[in-house]
Amino acid sequence: MNHAAVEARGLVREFKGGVRAVDGVSLSVPAGQIYGFLGPNGAGKSTIVRILTTLLAPTAGTATVGGYDVMREPESVRRKIGVALQDAAIDPFMTGRELLQLQGVLHGLSRRETRARGSRLLERVDLVGAADRRVGTYSGGMRRRLDLALALIHEPQVLFLDEPTTGLDPISRHTLWDEVRQLNTESGATVFLTTQYLEEADELAGRVAIIAEGRIVADGTPDDLKAEIGLPTLSVTVAREQLDAARGAMARFATPVPSGDSSVAIQLPEGAAGVAGVVRALDDIGVVATGLDLSEPSLDDVFMAKTGKRMEADEVTTS
Amino acid sequence: MSLALRQTGALSRRALIRTMRVPQAWVPSLFFPLMLMAIFSGSFAQAPDRIPGFPEVAGFLDFIIAGTILQAVLIAGTSGGAAFASDIEGGFFDRLVSSPASRLALVGGRITANIVIGVAFAAFFILVATIFGARISAGVPGLLLVLVFTVFLAAAAGGLGVTLALRSGSAEAAQGAFPLFFALMFFSSAFFPRETMDGWFKTVADINPVSYVVEGMRVPIAGTGDAWDALLGLAIVIGLAAIALLATLRSLDRRLKGDL
Repeated sequence: MNHAAVEARGLVREFKGGVRAVDGVSLSVPAGQIYGFLGPNGAGKSTIVRILTTLLAPTAGTATVGGYDVMREPESVRRKIGVALQDAAIDPFMTGRELLQLQGVLHGLSRRETRARGSRLLERVDLVGAADRRVGTYSGGMRRRLDLALALIHEPQVLFLDEPTTGLDPISRHTLWDEVRQLNTESGATVFLTTQYLEEADELAGRVAIIAEGRIVADGTPDDLKAEIGLPTLSVTVAREQLDAARGAMARFATPVPSGDSSVAIQLPEGAAGVAGVVRALDDIGVVATGLDLSEPSLDDVFMAKTGKRMEADEVTTS
Repeated sequence: MSLALRQTGALSRRALIRTMRVPQAWVPSLFFPLMLMAIFSGSFAQAPDRIPGFPEVAGFLDFIIAGTILQAVLIAGTSGGAAFASDIEGGFFDRLVSSPASRLALVGGRITANIVIGVAFAAFFILVATIFGARISAGVPGLLLVLVFTVFLAAAAGGLGVTLALRSGSAEAAQGAFPLFFALMFFSSAFFPRETMDGWFKTVADINPVSYVVEGMRVPIAGTGDAWDALLGLAIVIGLAAIALLATLRSLDRRLKGDL
């Protein structure tokens, strides 16, 4: 691939009253990647997705998707993309199979082709049994899975998933993650995924952009982003009488950081690979570690470092 | 082009399925006109004979069929507009817009569904009226002409409903067409002939284009008026449909550009 699957330059979207929901966003997503667009509610994620999926014109800036300009060649863009918008907007009075059939026609597929692909997709998202039931009877997770199938009926090059797991219980969330990962590996489709869950971006995305108040505040692989703000912390729990000895041995690697009364913690200068060296050093002086805890910096820490605020995701509701 | 037609067909099929599965969406547009037809034809059974100036008709039932069809089509237009608006509210419309489907099909599907519903209802009312003794005076060609009127009438009402939906994006606002439709209908000759009206009411009914549409429709059914009345009514209803469809396309364009 010689061009990026999604490319944006200086996107701005101003709404009535001068509110800048998107304030100069530039990004580039290589083909075949899962790109995580992470930010709290109201950060401008959905507005950007609406611009990239030709639903909303930007006030300024340009964007291409699948090599086509979203403003000048919206029809070509629409042929390349699959879209599952927030809240899975699915007509509750239709059955899953009927909606798949309709979606196929909208994409210009023949009836036969749609039927064949529809059946395969229903199997893949595990909705064969519910295919002929009205969507109104589906659970939240089933709706999202149907939404995913609908977005895939025409085998798109770029898949936009706007908060695909918001409001889902943890099990449904993991099922959906597996689906997304699998289709990315199998079909090579680029996935542009917005989320307010750090864990989701960390789990799925090869590259993450963090957005706050309409601007991208950080951009990179999850590991790069974490490395940028800090090293993993190793915390060793020892018996109280060995605390001083342990502190002495570990101080040779790095200055201990505040920790509990029965443990010593340092940030590993060489990353997680340094655990063995510390353990060996403790062993050499006869200190018995009763517990070891290695904690990687999280994307939450990155968000905190970049914006000075904690990310507050919506409560996860089980329905 | 054939793909655009297939897409319009698929979307209108979906609109029809959805309408059928939600009884609230079609029962009122069938029940209220039927009830009014029964009440009026019972209450005013002797009006044609006793009221001076009442056009020559076989019975009040024959006279009121056109008004009944008009009423059903207008109510169906309102429900269609409300359904379209809830597609916008719920995000289903975005799903359609983000697909490469023909832009014309986005609105054409709903309006086509409204036409199908209008024609089905018209046929049903005529059947019921026939069972109760009414006769289409111009026979089968007359029946076909009535259905042609219905097609354009439903296109006009459906187009207006969809226009309001596109402009407001809210099902409640789209329901606002209802009082307007009711005023247009009752301040016209839909239920009584202009010959028996007087004063300001007659002035309003004379200006109201709906009067001419209903009167035109009544020519083949009840044998009132002449070919000129039928042609005038047909021309006006085609004009109304054209205006409504142009308004729909303009509103669609504005919504897609994000001006609304």
